[in-house]
Amino acid sequence: MQRTHERTEAPDTDGAARDETAPDWFRFWPLLLLGAATVPGTVLYFGGRWMETPAMQAWRTVCLAVTVQALPFLLLGTALSGAINAFVPARVFSRVLPRRPVLAVPVAGMAGAVLPGCECASVPVANSLIARGVTPAAAFAFLLSAPAINPVVLTATAVAFPGHPAMVAARLLASLGTAAVMGWLWLWLGRAEWLRPKLRHSGHQVGGSRWREFRAGFQHDFLHAGGFLVVGAMAAATFNVAVPRSVLEAFSGSPWLSVAFLAALAIVLAVCSEADAFVAASLSGFSPVARLAFMVVGPMVDLKLIALQAGTFGRAFAVRFSAATTVVAVLSSSLIGGALL
Amino acid sequence: MKRPLQMTLLLLAGIGLLRVSLFTDLYLRYVKEGMRPLLIASGALLILLGVADAVSYGRRRGGEEHTDHGNESHGHHHSTTPRAAWLLFLPVLSLLLYAPPALGAYTASRAAPKAITHQDDFDPLPGISPLPITLSDFTRRVQQDRTKAIRGRTVQMAGFVTPGQQGDSWFLTRIMISCCAADAQSVKVRIYGTPALPTNTWVAVTGTWHPRGTLGTSSAAAALDAQSEEKIAKPVNAYTDALPLTPTR
Repeated sequence: MQRTHERTEAPDTDGAARDETAPDWFRFWPLLLLGAATVPGTVLYFGGRWMETPAMQAWRTVCLAVTVQALPFLLLGTALSGAINAFVPARVFSRVLPRRPVLAVPVAGMAGAVLPGCECASVPVANSLIARGVTPAAAFAFLLSAPAINPVVLTATAVAFPGHPAMVAARLLASLGTAAVMGWLWLWLGRAEWLRPKLRHSGHQVGGSRWREFRAGFQHDFLHAGGFLVVGAMAAATFNVAVPRSVLEAFSGSPWLSVAFLAALAIVLAVCSEADAFVAASLSGFSPVARLAFMVVGPMVDLKLIALQAGTFGRAFAVRFSAATTVVAVLSSSLIGGALL
Repeated sequence: MKRPLQMTLLLLAGIGLLRVSLFTDLYLRYVKEGMRPLLIASGALLILLGVADAVSYGRRRGGEEHTDHGNESHGHHHSTTPRAAWLLFLPVLSLLLYAPPALGAYTASRAAPKAITHQDDFDPLPGISPLPITLSDFTRRVQQDRTKAIRGRTVQMAGFVTPGQQGDSWFLTRIMISCCAADAQSVKVRIYGTPALPTNTWVAVTGTWHPRGTLGTSSAAAALDAQSEEKIAKPVNAYTDALPLTPTR
């Protein structure tokens, strides 16, 4: 009732304000008319010309390509997350996962193998897992491992590196290792206040319609994550167009620099995890360890993922988590790559 | 973002995805052919979501109109509705109205060259002349085939024009993607002997290997002395390096 009251008052004050200001701007109407006639045209013309330059066209194409490629997987992820929230009782997770968080982390990491798709799908799913009472450390292990070790990605890796089964094994082990270490690191150092408190994922409410809860959660998560996906795609497209690939050759000589450089490249290029093996295979000037680092870092940290995580879990979390994951992933791929490749 | 706007965004996104994947081949400018079913499903799902939202919104509004005596109501509070969602309008409107073109010469002149896979045994070349061949196959024949079967053969290749840095030659180019246009790689063959057509024109070029370096080793240049060139239509799926050279669709 109170709200109705406010609503009826609002238009009155609005109308009063308009009556006072109207004559003021009305005096300059020829100027305004002229402006209205020319400014949009000019802006459109020069804006259009600028948008048609080859660099801007390439930027728009890459930006749209990243978005279009990710949308189906984002939909899958947000639908799953909505379904977990509305239909799966919390006790299912407490029964499946070991009770001790230290053990739950590697189990959740290995469970990542069942979510096919690229990294965009795993962020909303991890979020809803946390909301359903899964310990955050285990959810993060899942978040990191799912895009890297699912069968689709491992098959793509085997196809991209024919005759090098060691590369597939190294990718699997290094990714699992990174996911588990990050989970344990969260148990050791992580703080709950870095995570944005989330009110929406409250699970099934008694008396509410599960179907409506699913739909509302799905829609909210998709629109939210979609917006951040666009931010990430824009950033990735900017680097993609602005950094010429000839820069790559400069770093391929030194073994340590090349590992760090390809890890950085994986972050800024934001290639989806199903395709990064092919990109890694094309970086033939680099050592196998550096290429492994590219494939381990890429699915776990990249610009669009950082944007998605910042949107889902909050900026304080995304910055710390991505930085730590990069370090752990580089170390783990150097160790395992050094041993296997 | 207000509820009706969310519905509009969902509906437009669904229609945009269906437009590029179901009704046209525009999606091939951005992603691989295999993504088509996923894109169509996503488009249908988004439309479904938008319609379901509209139905429940309309139903609830109808219900509230009875209780609130017809007052304008914005439904329940939407303090958590994401402001970032506005950004989704950019790709959605781009899909609907202003789909950017496929990557071309600008990217090809900067993208990483595609690694040519290694091959030890080469089958004898078919006897037809001119011999249609892909840019990758030509490069592989020139740089890896120790039997030097390509020597003296007239071949025909198709691609688009990328200007060369030197004045007397240009590049016949193909761009290939492994997932989406963000991971574009290019394969180029330098063309001597015919003037370059405007950048990004699709052409078929007929000619023989441009003798430089030792044939059958990596020192051999992937280059062609062209005898003739003709304009062709842009292939439907431009991000491939495949035969036939002139697509029938």
